[in-house]
Amino acid sequence: MAKAANLSRSDLDSSSGSDLSVSSRTSNRSLRVVEKERRRNEAGDPFLLSLKYFSKVEAGTPRIGNDVLERHLVQVERVGLSRGLPPEAISVMLDYAMSLRTGGKICVRVLKFLIPATVVPQEAVVQAVAWLCVSKIAISTQVLFLRWLLTVFDMIDSKDNLRAIYGFIFHFVTEENLSPYICHLLYLLTRRESVRPFRVRKLLDLQTKMGRQPFLLHLLSLYKVFCPELVTLALPSQMRSGFKNHNSMWKAALSAVQKRNNSQVSSDISLTLGVKHKTNSRKRKYHHLEVPSLSSSVQRNSPFSSSRKVFPLEQLHTFPQLLDNLHRIELPSQMGSLLGSNLSLCYLDYVQDDSAFLRLNFWLGHALHEEFLFCSSRDGGSGSSSEALHLLNRLLSTQHFLQEGFSSTEGFLYKFLNVWDGSLLRPQILGLLSDIPVVPSSCINQLLFEPLVQLFFTSTLFFKCSVIDCLNNMLLKWLTWHSVYALEDGLDISLHSHTPMNMSLSGFMDSVVELVRFVGRLAAVGLQLEGCHSLLLSFILDFYETVCDMFLKYGLPLVVMPPVGVFYPALFATDPVSVDRLGYIMYRYKNNLISAKCQQKETKAFHISRQTYREFNHYLSFMVSCLWNSKMFLPGMAIEVDQELLSLSKVAKPWTSFDLIHHPAFLGYALDFHHKVSENFYWDWYLEFLFSQGFQGLQQFVQSSITRRSVAGTNDQGQGDRQPTNS
Amino acid sequence: MMLYLTTFPYQDSSCIMGKREVQIHFLTLPVLFFSVMEERKSTEETPRNNALAQRRSKSYRQSMRSCVEATHLTYTSGLLTALRIPRSRKAPKSCDITKQVDPDQVALLVKKEWQLSYVTPLYQFRHTQLKSYSKQLSAFMVSEKQQGLAIEVGQELGFKVNFSVVLGLAETDKDAETVFIQILSKQVFSAKDAAPKVVWSGWLTCVNGDLDYLRSLPLEFVSLPLFCTRGPESLTVLVKTWFEKTFDCCFGPLGINSTNLQWLASLWTGCHPTINIQYLKLVWTLPTLPPMDVTYTVHPQDAWELWDSMRQVDTTEDSISIDEVTGFIKGLQSHFFRHFRIDLSAGSLMQISTALGSSHHSGKIKIASPNYIPTILQLLTECALLKMPI
Repeated sequence: MAKAANLSRSDLDSSSGSDLSVSSRTSNRSLRVVEKERRRNEAGDPFLLSLKYFSKVEAGTPRIGNDVLERHLVQVERVGLSRGLPPEAISVMLDYAMSLRTGGKICVRVLKFLIPATVVPQEAVVQAVAWLCVSKIAISTQVLFLRWLLTVFDMIDSKDNLRAIYGFIFHFVTEENLSPYICHLLYLLTRRESVRPFRVRKLLDLQTKMGRQPFLLHLLSLYKVFCPELVTLALPSQMRSGFKNHNSMWKAALSAVQKRNNSQVSSDISLTLGVKHKTNSRKRKYHHLEVPSLSSSVQRNSPFSSSRKVFPLEQLHTFPQLLDNLHRIELPSQMGSLLGSNLSLCYLDYVQDDSAFLRLNFWLGHALHEEFLFCSSRDGGSGSSSEALHLLNRLLSTQHFLQEGFSSTEGFLYKFLNVWDGSLLRPQILGLLSDIPVVPSSCINQLLFEPLVQLFFTSTLFFKCSVIDCLNNMLLKWLTWHSVYALEDGLDISLHSHTPMNMSLSGFMDSVVELVRFVGRLAAVGLQLEGCHSLLLSFILDFYETVCDMFLKYGLPLVVMPPVGVFYPALFATDPVSVDRLGYIMYRYKNNLISAKCQQKETKAFHISRQTYREFNHYLSFMVSCLWNSKMFLPGMAIEVDQELLSLSKVAKPWTSFDLIHHPAFLGYALDFHHKVSENFYWDWYLEFLFSQGFQGLQQFVQSSITRRSVAGTNDQGQGDRQPTNS
Repeated sequence: MMLYLTTFPYQDSSCIMGKREVQIHFLTLPVLFFSVMEERKSTEETPRNNALAQRRSKSYRQSMRSCVEATHLTYTSGLLTALRIPRSRKAPKSCDITKQVDPDQVALLVKKEWQLSYVTPLYQFRHTQLKSYSKQLSAFMVSEKQQGLAIEVGQELGFKVNFSVVLGLAETDKDAETVFIQILSKQVFSAKDAAPKVVWSGWLTCVNGDLDYLRSLPLEFVSLPLFCTRGPESLTVLVKTWFEKTFDCCFGPLGINSTNLQWLASLWTGCHPTINIQYLKLVWTLPTLPPMDVTYTVHPQDAWELWDSMRQVDTTEDSISIDEVTGFIKGLQSHFFRHFRIDLSAGSLMQISTALGSSHHSGKIKIASPNYIPTILQLLTECALLKMPI
C-alpha cells in the first residue's frame, strides 16, 4: 500500500512513468518483457495517454463513431484485463464511468474491466457512491457497480471514509433491486456505532414488506451481535449461512491478475462471511450438555461502555485480530461458549477475570452435576453418553490448553469419585482427575484417597494400572507447577491464579509426600493382589521414575523411597525390564541424594531425613549383594530364611539364586551368553553382553554403585568358573 | 373396632386392582383415615425398579453427603463456603406476611401449585432494570416463536411480559428481593378492549439463604436460587433460555427429597394449634411388584399429639431437630405397621399435604396459607442452594 501511495498524480502526468505499474515489483519477469516495457515507456506510454484522455474527456462527448475514445478504451481494457489497473487508473476510470460522461453503456463496459492490480483507493469508491446518489445511472448498472464493489471490497485500501458515509449507503437499502447488495455492503461496513434504533426500525419495516429475506436477516443478525438490546432474532437452523457471491464476472480476471502480480493484498476473493449458527439438532433433554453458542451480551450497564468501541468475541476469527483488539474485546453473554474456541480461551487466560471464570465454572459445574450426579437426563435412557463423552473430551482439551483444571471440575470429581463405578467414561474421568490442582494434605485423604482406594481394590488389573498412571500424571503436573511457580526463595508459592488458595512450600511438600506414600501403599497391596503382574509393576515403576527425580528435575527438596512392597517385587521380577528399570531408579535416587546432601551442606535451607538415607543404603546394599555378590539369604540380610528350610528346598547354592546369572529375569540371557561363548564364562564379558542387550538402567546402576577394586577382586572372586547350574 | 371398606374409582386406567379406603376407629386415636392404592406396574412409570436408576438415586444421596463433607474445598471466588444440610430449624411462627408484603402480590403466590427449579447465580442482574428486561423477554419470546423474523426490542407484540419486585419477602440483607414475572397474552379472538390473560407466571426468590455462600459471591452476581413456575412448559423453556442467555445462569429441576418432605410434614403439623391443618396426608410408594402407593391420612389432632409427644422437653421452644422429625415419621410408620404389617420405611415418601399446603417429590409445591410462607421458602431455598455446582 505504501508503494501505491507513492504513485502520485504528478508521476502520472509527467508520464515519465519510469516504474509506473506494479510490474516493477514482480521480480521474476523475463528480461525481454522488461526491455519491451522500457522501449514503450520511451515512446510515451499509450496507457498513460489513454488515462490522461479519460480524466479530461468532457461530458457529452459522442460515443458512436468516436474512434479516439474507442482506441483509448481498448488500450485501458487490455491493461486492465491482463495486468490489472494501478490505483490511480482505478480512480480515473471509475470517476469517468460513474459520471456517465459518455453514456451508460460505456460505464458498464468500464466496470467490467476494472480489475485492480494492487489496491482500490477508497476516495474513488466514495466518489463513485456520490455519483450513485445523483441517481442518473440505470438500476442494472448500479447493481453492477455494487457487485464490483463487493468483489474488490477487501482490496480497498482503507474503509474509514466509506464508513463515514454509512448513512448514505444505508439510504439505498429501500431500493428493491439494490437491497441485497446494499445489505451485503452494510454487513461488511457495520461497526457497533453504526447500529442505531432508526436503522433497525427501517430494516424491520423492510422485513415486513419483503418477508424473511436472508440478506436482511444476516444484516439484522449482525446488528443483534452489536446491539442485542435493540433487536432480537432467532435464526432458523436450516437457513443458509453467508451472503451470495457476486464476483462471477471478475473472478477469473481478478485471480489471473493476482496470480501474475503475486499479489498478497487480497487473500479472500470469495467474500463469504458466514453467520455461524449451530444446528440445534439435539434434544432438549440433553440441554445441559450443550455448549452454548457465542453471542454478545445484552448487559451493558455502565453508561460509558456503550460509547466505547467494543469487539464482540463472535467477530473474532484469527489470532492477529485478537492481538489488535485485545483491549476492547467483550466477553460473550454465556461463558460456557468459550469452551469451544481456543482463541477465546487465549483471551480468557489473558484477562484473568474472576467473575468470568466463576461464570464458566457455574456453567461447567452445572453441566457435570446434572449429567453425572443429579442424572436429570437419565430417566431410563442411555442416549446421552455420547454427548457426555463429547463434553468431557472438550473439557479435557480445554484444560490441557489452559494447563490447569477448573475448580468446578475439581469439586465435581470429589463428589463423583464416591459414586463412580470405575468404568463409566474411565479415560476421561481419570484424565480430569490428573488435572486437579494440589490438594491440601489435611483433606487429601478424605477427598481423594478414600474413594480411590475403594475403587482400586475392587476393580480389574487394567483399572489399577490406569489409576496409577493417573496419579503419576497428577504428580507430574503438581511438580511441574511447583517448578514453574515456586518463587526464588522457595518459601512461598502462590497456587495457580484462579484459586484463592495460597500454599506454603511445606504445605505443598506435605501434599506430595501424602500422594507418594498413598501410591506406595496402593502399589504394594495392588502387586500382592495381582500376583506382581508385570503390567502393573511397569506403571508403578513409571511412578517411581517420577518420584526419584523430584529433587534434581523439579527442585523439590524431597526424596521418598519406595516401600518394601514395591522394591522387592521389582527386584525379584521375572521380566528383566522391571529389574532394569529398578536399576535406573536406584541410580537416579543416588544422584538425587548425593546432590541433595551437597546442597544441604551449603545452604542448610532444607533437610532430608536420615531415615531416607538409611532406607536407600539398605536397598542399595541388598541389591548389590543379591545381584552382584551372590549373597542371598545369608545372615544379616534383609531377607533371612532359616538355613534348614533352605536346605529342605534342595536348591544347590541358594545364595546365588538371585545374582545376575541365576536371577529368573536374566537366566535366559545367561544361557544365551553361555551358548555363544561356550568356553569360559567371564563375568565381565557377561556384563558387557547384558548391557549390549539394552539394559541401560542396569548399566548405570552398576557403574554408579559398584566400585570394582581389581579385576580379580573380592567382587569377582570365583566368577570365572560360574556356570548356570542347570545348563 | 370397626372397619369400613369402600372401593374408589380408578385414577389410572392401567390400574387393575382397586384403591381401597379404610376407615378405622380406634379407642386411643379417635379417627385415622388412610387409603391403600395398589397400582399395576407400567414400565415408564417405574424407573426406580430400573437398576440404573437405583444406582443413580443412591449415588445422588451419597454425593450430597460428600458435598457436605467436602465443604472446605467448595470455594467461590476467594471465600470458602460451607453449605450444610441443617440438623435443626426454627419452629414456624405464624406471622402476618401481608404486613410486610403487598397483599395483592401475596395473593399471586399462594393457593397455586408451583413447579420448582434451581438456578445458579445471575450475572449482572439488576433490580432496577426490570422494565427493560420485560421488553427484551417479550421480544425474545416472539422471535423464538417466529423463527427467522427479526424483532425490535420494545415493540408492542402479542406477548406482554411484566417483571415486578415482591418487596418484603427477603429476610436478611443478603437475600435478594424476590422477582415476579408474568406473561400476558392477548387472545386472538377476544374483544378489542378485553384485558390480556395471564398465560404464565413465575418467580425467583431467596429467603434466608446461607449467609456464607451469599457473601462469597462477587458483587456482579445476584443469587435467587429458587425458581417457581406455573404455566405451559414451552413458555417455561423460553423464559429459562432467555435467562440463561442474558444472565449466564443455568437452570435445573429441583425435587423435594424424602427428608425435606418429612420436614414439611412436621413443620405443618406443628402449626396445628394456630391454624387448623384439617388433615395430614402422606403418600408413600413401596418398591413392590407392582409398586404400591400408600395414601396415609391422619387426623390433625392425632398428628399433632404425636408430634407434640416427640418434641423434646429440654430443647428450646423455637428449635426443631431432625431427630424429632424422624421420630415423628417413625411413629406414624410404626402405627401403620402395627395394623397392616407394611413397613413404610422401606418405601419412599412421595407427597405430603395439609390444609396449609402440599408438596410433591417431583418438585411441586403449593402454599395455601400466607402465614407460613417464609418458613417454607427458607426450606426450599436451602434445597436449591444445595444444588449449586460451586
